[in-house]
Amino acid sequence: MEIQVNEGILNLNERVALENKRLFGENGLFVINIMGSPGAGKTTVLEKTIDILVNSVRLAVIEGDIYTSKDARRIEKHGVPVKQINTGGACHLDAKMVSGALGEIDLRHVDLLIIENVGNLVCPVEFNLGEDIKIAVLSITEGDDKPLKYPLLFRESAAVILNKMDLIDFTDIDMDSLRSDIKKINPGVEIFEVSARTGKGLDEWARWLIKKVREKNG
Amino acid sequence: MHEMALMGGVFDIIKQYTADLPDKKVTRVTLVVGEMTNAVPEALEAAFEVYAKGTAVEGAELVIRRIPLTACCTACGWQGKVEEHMFICPRCSGLGLEIRSGRELYVESLEVD
Repeated sequence: MEIQVNEGILNLNERVALENKRLFGENGLFVINIMGSPGAGKTTVLEKTIDILVNSVRLAVIEGDIYTSKDARRIEKHGVPVKQINTGGACHLDAKMVSGALGEIDLRHVDLLIIENVGNLVCPVEFNLGEDIKIAVLSITEGDDKPLKYPLLFRESAAVILNKMDLIDFTDIDMDSLRSDIKKINPGVEIFEVSARTGKGLDEWARWLIKKVREKNG
Repeated sequence: MHEMALMGGVFDIIKQYTADLPDKKVTRVTLVVGEMTNAVPEALEAAFEVYAKGTAVEGAELVIRRIPLTACCTACGWQGKVEEHMFICPRCSGLGLEIRSGRELYVESLEVD
C-alpha cells in the first residue's frame, strides 16, 4: 500500500521559526543570523560591530557553538547581553534552540538581535531561525572558489562580509572573480570588504545594518 | 553532516503517518531533494540506515528523487535550468531570476506492507 505524504522534512523547524519571527515582530526586533566557516572571523567582526553600534542601537547576542562558551565570554566584555547555545555536537543552530534561548533575553529592550551560528558553510543555511536576514562572513584567505562551492549560503544571504582584507598581499586571491561569482549567485547582495583586525570597512557595514534596523523599527 | 538532523525529521513524519498501522512494515520511503539544497544523498542514505535499525523501517528501500534547479526571469519570462548557480537570465541578462524548483526537501510517499 502506498501512502502519499508530501510533507516537508523541515516543516517542524519552519513552524518554530515562524513562531520566533512573530515574537521578534511583536517586540520590534531586527534579527540577523551570521554564518561562515570556522576561523572566518565571525566573532571578531561581531565584536567590532558591537563597539560601533553600542551607543546607537540596543543589542543582544546569541552565540552558537558546539561545545564551548569562549565566544560568549568575548562578547560579554563589550557590555551587551549574550546568551550561549551549545548544540552538543550538532553542526548548526535550529529554530527550537533559539526559541529556548529567547526566554533569557529581555526582548522588549532590544532593537537588534545578532545570532552567530556554528562555524560551517553548509548545514546552518537550511535551518531558518526566524531571522530577518542572513549574513555570510567569508575571509579572503579561504579562497575565491568558495561561493561557487557553497552557493546556497551566498544565495540566501542579504550581505556578504569579506573579512581579512588586511592580508590581501599574502594571498593570490582574485577579488574581481570572487565578487563576480557572489553577484552571479545573488545579484542583489551587498558586499562589504573589511578587516575586523584593523577595523577598516566596518563603518560602512555598520551603517548599512543600522539602516536595516531602523527600516524595521520605523 | 546535518543529514542526521534531516533524517530525524523524516522519521518523525514516518512515525506520524504509520501510527495507526502498528503491524505494517515500511518497505519504501521516497524523498524529494532539490539540487539547491545542502542535503547530500549519500549522507542521507547513511543516516537512513542508522535511524531505520530496529524499527518497522529496517530493510526498506530509500528512493531519493532529485529535482533540477530551475528559475524564471521576472523581466522577460524566460524559464529554464539554472546552470552553475548563475542567477543571470541567459536571454535578457536580467538579474531577477526567481527559483521555480530545486529547493525541495520533503517526504513524498511511503510504501507499507
